[in-house]
Amino acid sequence: MSSPARSALPDGALHQLDPLLLDAAVAAFLNRESRLADESRYEEWLALWTDDIHYWVPSGAGNYDRDRRISFINDNRNRLTTRIRQLQTGLRYAQTPVSPMRRVVSNIELLSVGADELEVGSNFVLYELSLQASNELRIWAGRSTHVLHRRDSELAMSRKVVELVNASQPLPNMAFLL
Amino acid sequence: MNPALSAVAASLDVSERITPDRVHGSLYTDPDVFDAELQRIFHRGWSFVGHESEVPGVGDWVSRRVGRDPVLLVRTRAGEVTVLANRCAHRGVQLCTGSSGTNGSFSCMFHGWTYALTGELRAVPQPIGQGTAAAELALDRPRAVDRYRGFVFANPSGGAGPLAEHLGVGGRELLDWAADLSPTGELDLSAGWLGQRSPSNWKMWAESDNDGYHLGRLHASLWRVAPGTQYESAALAGEERVVSTCRDRGNGHIELEFWKGYDKDLAWLGTGREKVADYVAALTAARGAERAEELLWKGPPHALIFPNLFLGEMNLAIIEPVSAGQTIHHHTPLLLGGVSPGFNTRVLRQSEAAMGPAGFLLPDDATASERMQVAFAGTGGWMDLSRGLQREVFEGTDRVGHVSDETVNRGFWRHYRAVMTP
Repeated sequence: MSSPARSALPDGALHQLDPLLLDAAVAAFLNRESRLADESRYEEWLALWTDDIHYWVPSGAGNYDRDRRISFINDNRNRLTTRIRQLQTGLRYAQTPVSPMRRVVSNIELLSVGADELEVGSNFVLYELSLQASNELRIWAGRSTHVLHRRDSELAMSRKVVELVNASQPLPNMAFLL
Repeated sequence: MNPALSAVAASLDVSERITPDRVHGSLYTDPDVFDAELQRIFHRGWSFVGHESEVPGVGDWVSRRVGRDPVLLVRTRAGEVTVLANRCAHRGVQLCTGSSGTNGSFSCMFHGWTYALTGELRAVPQPIGQGTAAAELALDRPRAVDRYRGFVFANPSGGAGPLAEHLGVGGRELLDWAADLSPTGELDLSAGWLGQRSPSNWKMWAESDNDGYHLGRLHASLWRVAPGTQYESAALAGEERVVSTCRDRGNGHIELEFWKGYDKDLAWLGTGREKVADYVAALTAARGAERAEELLWKGPPHALIFPNLFLGEMNLAIIEPVSAGQTIHHHTPLLLGGVSPGFNTRVLRQSEAAMGPAGFLLPDDATASERMQVAFAGTGGWMDLSRGLQREVFEGTDRVGHVSDETVNRGFWRHYRAVMTP
């Protein structure tokens, strides 16, 4: 038995595709991204990104000037690559061992669709077992907004904004992939 | 005496748990010790509340804790900065929620008692039935509040003596140093605070923030992927090559002098002099060439102002004790007045890289502290803090050791032992 082609996109401008096909491709992308993050499969997760990227976890709602106010994560390609490489050293003690995680992604809504890119919002609930010291089971929840692009017959992401429900509060270690 | 303090905590004697080179781990886990600390360190002594630049306008407030007591740092109509209990004098309802705001007055959501920005009770609904006269009621406040270079401290009991004495020459030098980095002498702590919540004891954070021994090991993952930082020559080059020192400035104020091991000026900013020519010129004009050059080499201090203020190079952090086994480490980038927006954005980006629950450094420190908390959870056990005891020297009244030495831990605990005497 062969696995179904993942998020395979027919040719053509995104906004001219069959909406059901597009919905399915977007959902498949988000599910796959979630699974790779859950399983700390850093290289494969990083490959989901385009070249020029922004990965943002704001400290509150994501509506402020990032040059004036601090964020939990505010990565361009260079910083995200450093983040992943640090995790891959095997010496990132805040993720040694990696946290077992499972997240549920739902409430997926296409917010805008253009010829080459689209914006999609979704909600998530993430259970993380902090195995590094306390063994606490931690619950994370929030809303993600992705900007996705066509890359050949697949989708790739150029922007991911994660607005945590408790983004205005002190948070425990968050050294994994959100 | 705080009537809420347990009898056990009130009479607790911890002196046998602290020797010149060993400390017992139960000091991190014992709830009675924690209660006694709230009383003897945070009520009876001075601790940091906030910075004047956080409340620039009339009615601006930020929410803080002094020990566990919620307070507001407020800018009054007279332009003064004051500290008020965030608790209605009537039935004790918290007045302000959230971390910051701007108010013309503080009005309680329960019965509508309304307070001026100075804490005086101004209005009581249905006043005919009011018992105690409104003029005799006000928001509680620490008996002593004082400031130095914009840094505001509180001493709830009012019995700790002058702030200047608590800071001492050493503490004042450190705060002067941080403020002098700004060409106008002003800090601009406007970028917001991130909090790291950690199941570990607050004193572990005071110590690990100022531990020069752990960098090569605990943070190896970062140096491997981000080579070329100022810490290579200042801390990582090997025990015999590193010339950086640590310093016990007395009164529990402790410092890592990484700057002695930098290999070029502006190493702390990770950029060359030509890239920040405006800053160099402004600092030279403001401070004179000699002091400016000193600051350009040294950059910001790396030090603890006992008990809860960490001058973390281009960050400020507040160590908030929550319980024996819970701490919140709040930090904000040390943005400067009188510099270009680009300069401060650089500082902000560096802060995001290093600090906070997703930073490249702090989560690993949190993990080490959390493992200490786990390991000491039973009957505890002794820690060895003897490193460098045989080679530290006096410079005036300061004790100075190699940057990797535990001179700083011993300085912290020496003062702790003194102030924890019942």
